[in-house]
Amino acid sequence: MKYMIMTFGSAEAGLAAKGKDWMVEMIQFMKNLDEDLRKSGELVSEEGLADGSQAKTVRFENGISVATDGPFAESKESLVGYWIVDVESEGRAIEIASRIVDFVKVPIEVRRVMDAPPDF
Amino acid sequence: MRSETRVEDLLRELAPQILGALVRRHGQFGSCEDAVQEALLAASQQWAEKGVPDNPRAWLMTVASRRLVDEWRREGARRRREETAAMLEIPETGRPLAHDDTLTLLFLCCHPSLSVPSQLALTLRAVGGLTTAEIANAFLVPEATMAQRISRAKESIRSTGARFDLPSKPEQADRLRVVLHVLYLVFNEGYMTSSGPALNRADLTAEAIRLARMLHSLLPAEGEVAGLLALMMLTQARRAARTLADGSLVPLDEQRRDLWNHSLIEQGVALITRTLGKTSIGPYQLQAAIAAVHDEAPSAKETDWPQILALYDVLERVSPGPVITLNRAVAVAMVDGPRAGLALLGTLDDDERMARNHRLEAVRGHLLELAGDLPAARESYQRAARMTASIPEQRYLALRAARLA
Repeated sequence: MKYMIMTFGSAEAGLAAKGKDWMVEMIQFMKNLDEDLRKSGELVSEEGLADGSQAKTVRFENGISVATDGPFAESKESLVGYWIVDVESEGRAIEIASRIVDFVKVPIEVRRVMDAPPDF
Repeated sequence: MRSETRVEDLLRELAPQILGALVRRHGQFGSCEDAVQEALLAASQQWAEKGVPDNPRAWLMTVASRRLVDEWRREGARRRREETAAMLEIPETGRPLAHDDTLTLLFLCCHPSLSVPSQLALTLRAVGGLTTAEIANAFLVPEATMAQRISRAKESIRSTGARFDLPSKPEQADRLRVVLHVLYLVFNEGYMTSSGPALNRADLTAEAIRLARMLHSLLPAEGEVAGLLALMMLTQARRAARTLADGSLVPLDEQRRDLWNHSLIEQGVALITRTLGKTSIGPYQLQAAIAAVHDEAPSAKETDWPQILALYDVLERVSPGPVITLNRAVAVAMVDGPRAGLALLGTLDDDERMARNHRLEAVRGHLLELAGDLPAARESYQRAARMTASIPEQRYLALRAARLA
């Protein structure tokens, strides 16, 4: 079963508030996590995203599509990164997410990736 | 093309025998497995060009043994190497044991200490002779991820200290259940996520059937092995009819039965008929018997539902569970009317195991539709569409709901 584990936030605000030591620890934490998931044969892919302030949203307005600055949702927090893992159960996906939450202390969303034939 | 297929078939058939013989001689399942993979690769390249050697088994044995020695030399295990060199002089006599070896391998790959995804991956590689890339492709994960999963699985087996021996007789029944479950999951993985008659993941269903056939030939007296093989054949027989060209699902009662594979149905029916009553009954035999009744009906209308219901009654006694009750509710509806089926479904509403299973709502939608309660049917289909984790199913359920709007 594949799950997408998503972290939300704002890189700008997050980094400013936490300080240098935390940053160094955080980088090490993420490296360790990715390494563990790779070693366990569960990591499908992972990416970090540029800060939401750099996002463009493309909308359909007045009959044409228009790109505007800013993330999709009108909130301070937007998607900042994700892992896709292929695990034995939902419980295992939640266990991985919990390990991240224990460290970053911000909420994480866990979503099942749907099964589909590759040519679908 | 033809000869390529033949080479691949031969290699896949020999793979577990070579591996079994190697492990029996040298121990070290992990290194032996790597060596056999390398030998298979070399064979598939060289045999395609130069033709199959006179004694393919001996050829593979020699090449795999050489790889092992190379590996040990790299590790600098001089003593081990000398021992091995001596052993290589021994003429090949392992043949009578080959069948037992394959069985032992299957038990080892489905070791209960492994996670289910690891059991699947290791079985396909060590017993099925598939490459890591093929397995990764079938499960839609990167090759590096699958390679890691396989090497971790081998490491786990090593650390349990499991020996290359058949499990003791009393232990065998439990272990066989795990092996059957793994083969069943391999089949489902291919069947549930593929559309049309000839797609990539079809390989997984074919592979599951091949392995089940092999297991059946090793253990012909095991009713549940025969039952699982028959169930796979009777399900696979409907494959071409279960999806349209665009990948959308066709429910059983709307399938074009002329697209069913009738020779596969004949084989499956013959196998389950031969098996029933010979050994103790089990859930795979009963599910195969139910599939056989469906497959033998000339049209959906002519399905022998009373017999299917009787089989579900036995199945529910043999292996009770909410999924069996769910399926039995459909049979009840077809025999005693949709309201009777809905009443049985109602008993599952408080079952936590079903709370997140979309099939409960999908079946309820179907039965409500049969009962003529279209608004409620529509709601059930919509709830089911939200809960499923399969894209073809989600589209199918959303369409059913939209059709009733």
